Amino acid sequence: MVADTVSAVAPARPQIRIQGVVKSYAGRVVVNIDDTVLGASPIEGLIGPNGAGKTTLMRLIMHSTALDRGTISLLPPTGGEVVLSSQSSNRMAHHGVVKSNQVIMDFDRLTVLDSLLLAAAEGTYEQPHRIFSEKTVYRRHKDEIRHYLDFFGFADPTAFALSAGEKKLLDIVRCLLLKPTFLLLDEPTAGLPEDLTDKVMVVVRELAAAGTSVVIVEHDLNVIWNLCDEVLFMAEGSVILRGDPQSIRSHRTVVEKYLGEGHV
Amino acid sequence: MTFDFLDSFLITGLFSVVMVTGLALLLHLQLGLTRIANFGVVGFWGIGMYVFGVLYVKVDWSFGDPYQFLVCAAIATIASGLAGLLVGWLIADLDTDGVLVVTLGFATAVQLVATAQDDITGGARGMGGLDFPFDIGKVKDNELLWLGFTMAVVAGILFYVWRVHRSPYGRHLIAVGANERLARSLGKSTSRTKLWLFVIASAAMGLLGAMNGVMVRFLDIGNLGIDITLAAMAGLILGGTARVWGAVVGVFLTVGVFDIVIQSYLPLPREWYTQAIPVMREAIFGLTLIIVLLFRPYGILGDMRRDSLMRKIHGR
Repeated sequence: MVADTVSAVAPARPQIRIQGVVKSYAGRVVVNIDDTVLGASPIEGLIGPNGAGKTTLMRLIMHSTALDRGTISLLPPTGGEVVLSSQSSNRMAHHGVVKSNQVIMDFDRLTVLDSLLLAAAEGTYEQPHRIFSEKTVYRRHKDEIRHYLDFFGFADPTAFALSAGEKKLLDIVRCLLLKPTFLLLDEPTAGLPEDLTDKVMVVVRELAAAGTSVVIVEHDLNVIWNLCDEVLFMAEGSVILRGDPQSIRSHRTVVEKYLGEGHV
Repeated sequence: MTFDFLDSFLITGLFSVVMVTGLALLLHLQLGLTRIANFGVVGFWGIGMYVFGVLYVKVDWSFGDPYQFLVCAAIATIASGLAGLLVGWLIADLDTDGVLVVTLGFATAVQLVATAQDDITGGARGMGGLDFPFDIGKVKDNELLWLGFTMAVVAGILFYVWRVHRSPYGRHLIAVGANERLARSLGKSTSRTKLWLFVIASAAMGLLGAMNGVMVRFLDIGNLGIDITLAAMAGLILGGTARVWGAVVGVFLTVGVFDIVIQSYLPLPREWYTQAIPVMREAIFGLTLIIVLLFRPYGILGDMRRDSLMRKIHGR
């Protein structure tokens, strides 16, 4: 059922290939994937019960958690292959691979505007001798920052993000400002009200339409069924099923292991 | 304009305040913004002072001052910067405890090397022969002019730090200090940032060390104890580690009050000056640290105010 072959030609959109990847904690294998490709469809959902290894897999892709063995590679549409698992975690964003955080993470001393300018700023302006470049960075990025601030309704960008929802949104906007070619979203709508969840879905659709590959881990299955072109089902560390949302939703294994009879 | 009211004691006290302010400002970049607790300030400062002193006194230069001073100070600055590169590399991936141990160990190593290599450094006997790179007359006039030069350098450091707060680089430092993992996920090379910060701050500490060597004109390994680190740390924490002016305010209230007001204007017994006062100074600074951290951890000026700064720079 799992289609895991990669064509020799460059893919139409960025893909991530996971080969022979194993990760264990204290002898317990939490991820064990033989050969899987992510990004074959514009928006893919990754679902599975708690402890299936979804978040660990995302961390392995970002190399914020080290693999025990295996290889994770980025296959850009321009051809070639970038072995992500041999690179430091800060290099991922340079290759266009960006991930939002499952647990709320923020810079406690930076305002909303600070946080967004940080994400948008090019490294060349963050050198110790570039102490007069704030205006330049602001000028270069103010329009896109303003666009997202208005779209998501941040009241005062010069204030700090206080609520969990605001911090969650800020995390997503930071990811968007990095201009990802491959975006991993780990429970992006957790804790968000319905209107903002809808807005996140709009942005994700726009991004995918523009050529970005998106993979979403989400427990709000309405988001998965409504948004994703393809769904991967993980259990016990492995991707055991993949297919269109409708077929996964009604698949016997998914119903038994995850959804329960009442969901179908 | 006459400066008759400035006696040698007062000039020395002012120089001490200016020197420690410079070090506290550099420490502010590390501790206040990037949350790297560098307890090895004296090590970098000491390398600058001793490299400068040894080159100035022991090398037979074919040219005299001010070029001799400039060349020796430049080499001392580079040497401290290289020491910063080494320490920065060692601490780049360490947690707070690890940074504390490495930087303290480094400062101790510098003192031990300066003591052990006494044929070069003079060791416990000390080393004289340093002088001002100019001679405008009386010693007091030279000291006063040197105080002016040092103030200009520290004012330059203050301006740089002030600008850092208003630059993408400053934001980057704050992000590394606040949440390194998140900063890395945004593509920021946090290890390289910390490394360069150490190189730059250490080099500047080394330059200040060289300038101190000129003022004291006699190198003594007693200068390489914890005093200068403690003074910079106590001043910065009292004023507020996260604020630009925290270093200035705090050092004036600690070193300024102690080295100028208490030592110059209080009628203390003369015999206290050699033993009791230096010990009392360290004890008071240490006590200040404890009290401030217990009752006002953000210092007198409080935590940084990025919200008002952002409004000031970019409007609402």
